[in-house]
Amino acid sequence: MTRYPASVRARVLLRSFLIQGSWNYETLIGPGFAFTLLPALRYLHKQRGESGVPQAGGPDGATGETLEQAVARHVELFNSHPYFATVAVGAVAKMEADGTPPAIIERFKLALRGSLGSLGDRLVWSAWRPMTAIIGVVLFLAGAPWWAAVASFLIVYNSLHFAVRYLGLRMGARSGLDLGGVLREAPIQPVAERASQIACALIGLAVVLAVSVTENNPGRLAMAVVAVALGLALGSRTRKILTGLLWAAVAFALLLGLLGYGA
Amino acid sequence: MPIALFRVDERLIHGQVVVGWGKHLGVDRIAVIDDEVVASPWERDLYCLGVPSEVGVVFASVQDARHELAVWRADPRRIIVLVRDVETLARLAQHQLLDHEEINLGGIHFAPGRERLLPYLFLSPEECERLREVARSGAVITARDLPGTRPVTLDDLLPEE
Repeated sequence: MTRYPASVRARVLLRSFLIQGSWNYETLIGPGFAFTLLPALRYLHKQRGESGVPQAGGPDGATGETLEQAVARHVELFNSHPYFATVAVGAVAKMEADGTPPAIIERFKLALRGSLGSLGDRLVWSAWRPMTAIIGVVLFLAGAPWWAAVASFLIVYNSLHFAVRYLGLRMGARSGLDLGGVLREAPIQPVAERASQIACALIGLAVVLAVSVTENNPGRLAMAVVAVALGLALGSRTRKILTGLLWAAVAFALLLGLLGYGA
Repeated sequence: MPIALFRVDERLIHGQVVVGWGKHLGVDRIAVIDDEVVASPWERDLYCLGVPSEVGVVFASVQDARHELAVWRADPRRIIVLVRDVETLARLAQHQLLDHEEINLGGIHFAPGRERLLPYLFLSPEECERLREVARSGAVITARDLPGTRPVTLDDLLPEE
């Protein structure tokens, strides 16, 4: 991707936000993948068309592949965590520019799609999102106005979201086929573990705050018990204790909010 | 220790296998049997990415796996064995190597010529026939995507001949 002008890179990054836009059961985010990659494919096609020098592999190379055919290869089934998908887009953009044979690119995407999903699940869905949501809940219970609690959740959550998209695209574009080794060195697992630990500590804090506002108030105490029970029941359906506790905290915060506490 | 899970899944290592089955069964190792992947370092690197550090990954060709299967079954560590497609499974099953083995059909996606049998399982008529052969050689085949869902037996899955 380093060979692509900044405007193409920026367009790919912006389009990646819509990568789930045509999600469907048959090809999952495949069409979104092609849509995101399209500015890069267009650029390559134009370059090669103008230079008139046939290049092996790649779009419009020695195989005489048209832009449409190149896009057709990429609308096929693909799946990944939506944020980590930019890693795959970057790597594929580099390989297309390098003239890597389509069959190799195909196998690369197949090998990558499960791994990116698994990395994203562990980092974002099961660690980062619970942690950032509980930050908002704790702030609210500590007396911050509701909009500040919501804003802090959105800002902290999306800081990692945007970083993954941007850095992922860059990392993919620099590594190409060597992506596996490079991604292994990336500090994904440590961040996920640390976020889980912080989330657990914050849930403890939320419980303390919740109990302190229920002091001498049997009505609120009953609500807290209902919220915790509800949360654990919801969470056990997803088989994640952290998610269960998060639901409990959110339910409690909502009930308090409805009753005007903290307003 | 018998093989904890013997699965046909074209995605090989991915979230359902690592988290869904791996955590549920408490596995120590994942074995991938695939002639192409075993010969491709960058592909092996990519598949290893999705596996937590405490779980080991082994890659084997079909040829080697035919010998390794006995070793894996004798090993006290719990192992998940993965193959990409019905063809690889059928090659492994030759000479009744998979007699009494429980085979899990976990995910084969749509491709031209394949029909939808379950939301996660698309098979061509040839693949169905190969599966019947494998079953006749002694393997017990069921389809099931995750530990929490109900298994579907091969008889229920395939229309009568």
